[in-house]
Amino acid sequence: MSREILPMTAVLLLALFLASGLAAQSGVHLQDGLYAAATDDPDIAAVLAHDPLFTVHLVDSATLSQDLAGYDLVVSGGQAYATETDRGQAALSAFATAWRHYRNTVYTAEDDLFAAYPLWIDTVELTSELDFTATESGQTVSLHPQGEDVPSPSGPVEAVPTPAPVQSMPTGDMREKLASDGDDQVSRYVDMVSSGPDLGEFKTPSQLAPPLPFDSLIYVFVFIFPLYFTSQFYMMSIANERVDRRGEALLSTPAGPLAIILGKAVPYFFLMLAVSAAIILLTGGSFLVLLPLIPVIVFFLAAALLIGMTARSFRELSFLSIFFSTVITSYLFFPSIFANVHAISRISPLTLVVLQFEGTGFAAADYLYATALFWLSSLAVLWLCVRNFNEERLFSQESLTSRIISFVRGAMARGHPIASLVALNACIIPLVFMVQLMYLVLLFNIPMPFSLILLILLAAATEEVAKSIGIIAVLRGRPGTFTWKNLVLAAVATGAGFLIGEKLLLFVMVAQVTGSVFGTILFSGVGLLWMPFLLHAGGAFIVGAAVKAGGRRMYLPGLVIAAGVHALYNLILIGGAL
Amino acid sequence: MNARHVWTVAKKEFRGIGHERTIVLAILLQVFIAMFSSFLVIGLTSLYDPASMDRAGGVYAVGYAGANSPLRGILEADDTFAVYQMDLSPAIAALKERQLAAVVYVPPTQPGAVEPVQVTLYTLKNDIQAAVVGVELKEDFEEYEALLRHVRADRLAAAPIEVAVPEGAGGQSFFLFIYGLLIPLLLFMPAIISASLIIDFITEEYSARTLETLLSTPLTFTEILWGKVVAAWVLVPLQGGAWLLLLALNGIAVHNIVEVLIHVSAASLVLILLAALTALHFRDRTNAQFIFSTGLVAVLLAALAVPANPANFIVLLAAGAAVSWHWVVLAIVLCGTLLLAAVTDRYARTIARRAMT
Repeated sequence: MSREILPMTAVLLLALFLASGLAAQSGVHLQDGLYAAATDDPDIAAVLAHDPLFTVHLVDSATLSQDLAGYDLVVSGGQAYATETDRGQAALSAFATAWRHYRNTVYTAEDDLFAAYPLWIDTVELTSELDFTATESGQTVSLHPQGEDVPSPSGPVEAVPTPAPVQSMPTGDMREKLASDGDDQVSRYVDMVSSGPDLGEFKTPSQLAPPLPFDSLIYVFVFIFPLYFTSQFYMMSIANERVDRRGEALLSTPAGPLAIILGKAVPYFFLMLAVSAAIILLTGGSFLVLLPLIPVIVFFLAAALLIGMTARSFRELSFLSIFFSTVITSYLFFPSIFANVHAISRISPLTLVVLQFEGTGFAAADYLYATALFWLSSLAVLWLCVRNFNEERLFSQESLTSRIISFVRGAMARGHPIASLVALNACIIPLVFMVQLMYLVLLFNIPMPFSLILLILLAAATEEVAKSIGIIAVLRGRPGTFTWKNLVLAAVATGAGFLIGEKLLLFVMVAQVTGSVFGTILFSGVGLLWMPFLLHAGGAFIVGAAVKAGGRRMYLPGLVIAAGVHALYNLILIGGAL
Repeated sequence: MNARHVWTVAKKEFRGIGHERTIVLAILLQVFIAMFSSFLVIGLTSLYDPASMDRAGGVYAVGYAGANSPLRGILEADDTFAVYQMDLSPAIAALKERQLAAVVYVPPTQPGAVEPVQVTLYTLKNDIQAAVVGVELKEDFEEYEALLRHVRADRLAAAPIEVAVPEGAGGQSFFLFIYGLLIPLLLFMPAIISASLIIDFITEEYSARTLETLLSTPLTFTEILWGKVVAAWVLVPLQGGAWLLLLALNGIAVHNIVEVLIHVSAASLVLILLAALTALHFRDRTNAQFIFSTGLVAVLLAALAVPANPANFIVLLAAGAAVSWHWVVLAIVLCGTLLLAAVTDRYARTIARRAMT
């Protein structure tokens, strides 16, 4: 960015400030008047008019009894009616919410709070001794009774202290807390990020709610978007060096590629860190939240570097970065929806942010589990970029796919193609794991047999694509040296590298997911080493042989065959395991 | 201005997009997000509407410990639960072995007592079905709360108006999320993509120094500009329509598709013209994108803060709600667009004239 835009930036920041003030003042009018409500009671109309979701029509009883068409909701004679449509049912539910609000405001004004709110519930969450693998593998947990008998625990019974009949409750903020009731969209988010009044563990029945999935959406907006936005500048700074060969001067300096890349990244890294810290300060969170965010920042920068180095034009840059941001935002967001509900949520660093804000906190193992892939993938991408940060790669105008291939070829040591293949395939594993965990997130909700089959197919295809990159890079690099004998050697090297990477990573992340049936498919976590090795080497050989025999056209058919073999192997494996 | 020339430039930009496989990425992106929306549909309905989940056996076992109370009767009357009177310690042990779905402990507090009744609820952590049980239990607790409130009614000063809400109101947040958030988000995403595309279209000509070559053909500068605007603009209803189609495939019915697309197209032209003006002024991609995206946030926030904004009408139209005067709003937006178009055209002419002299 240049200095000439500073005055404009100042004007825009002022405009932004004014606009957010306006939005805070008048509210966001996106869903206004979604439901049409009619009533013959002026008091009810007055209550409903407070909720912008409703368009309220006050009509007399005679009209109401004749003409009901066009209204989603009708309230008359102490009874609410709704049409049978989705919108009608949603209106009814919105009405129930609005009505609960209204009742709450009436009850909160009472002098005797314990007459208005006579029932308080203390929720105690217990960890089951059966672990998550049961739910993860799609099996239904036996939560329904087996028979008429009173259930009796089979294990030892620990004495549980009986809760005292009357426990002290903080009375100070109680009214305030009851009045807000947490149902209003905006106030709930505000309460969540800034630590609002806390009533301790006790809740009234209407406050009992399952963890609301959309809550983590706000963390995506608050934390991830600024990071994405800032990483754009790094991306453009890299891409700008490639326009008109501007970077030639930089490359001719004694600074090596690593120094240039890191030097360019450092300001953005600290800027992103500062932005996150500022947000934490504003929201009153703990600075521990920064810990899970750092690997995300590094990952964003690594991806920005790769995109900046591969995109041929700014158009391509825009699309690649939008694509990347959508994928990574969903990777971060969707698991964190299930924070507190399901173990799957632990694969996202954002879940740690959610947990930290909730006050639950996270352990070192959780941190390792959620962030290991981010660290490793960032390192792999960074290394790839450092190896290719030279004139030949930066200023060439190849298409995207062949560019990636030459990047991979550039990263290999010329004298040791076989050793490079082993190393490359070991390094590619974190990326493959990330993609596969993404499938897990996507599919774990689909009914059991379908999710398993889809997962097997997708995981097999992904692994074969990843393995083929190295072989193709070598094959395309020096067609002359690639004899059948060398192909076998390369396939063996690929299989070995893949297996080493897989086992190393599994060793690092001894995690719940890997133990489940899903984990078995994803990571072939079976004790026998030679079987997965044969599988990986065989798949790589099939693709390599197809390309060697039929040229580029045969790549896709070869890939399909290899993925088919891979999927079949996994199916048989699971069939045996089940 | 020659319409054929404008179209020639537009076609050139389309070819550029197709050539770089960028459109493939865009389509992939759409499929990807469509997958997620179906994921949300399944995931959220199962979380919020317990009936949609397959409950083999259909009954959850609940342990009841502590003093006898009307709550026990309420739970027993609910056929979602099988209630077992147990001591607290074995009940908790059974819960940990998943033989029970939840354990309720009720203290011996009298219903009419001065102090509140403090019930302890034990559930399993990190379990979707436990969350479902929580939803079911909440209803019974609310019933018990109403009962206790009735007992203590003489201590209350005012009574709210009573309105009975029929059973079965489930998916408000789901409906609201789909129509009130997801659809406007999906429809305005193509608009924002197109706006940043036009910045690329324009600044690329400057940075690659291809503008002189283009101008040596019979094309004028304004024709080139409008060609680019048309190329970016046409993508908006195409992409928006594709979204709505994908949503329909996912079983989400969108009403008034034509009106919705007209509104989106009109509003997106404003964004595209603003982006074009920014790009013409700054000529450098980094600067233009930064200024535009900062401005965009301000514009969107300000627009959303105004009641009866186009996005509000898109939500209402898509949800099939009663909308009365959305054509008026459309006319106002179109007037603004025309004004902006005139400004852009004027500015482009000025730039061209300045370049000539």
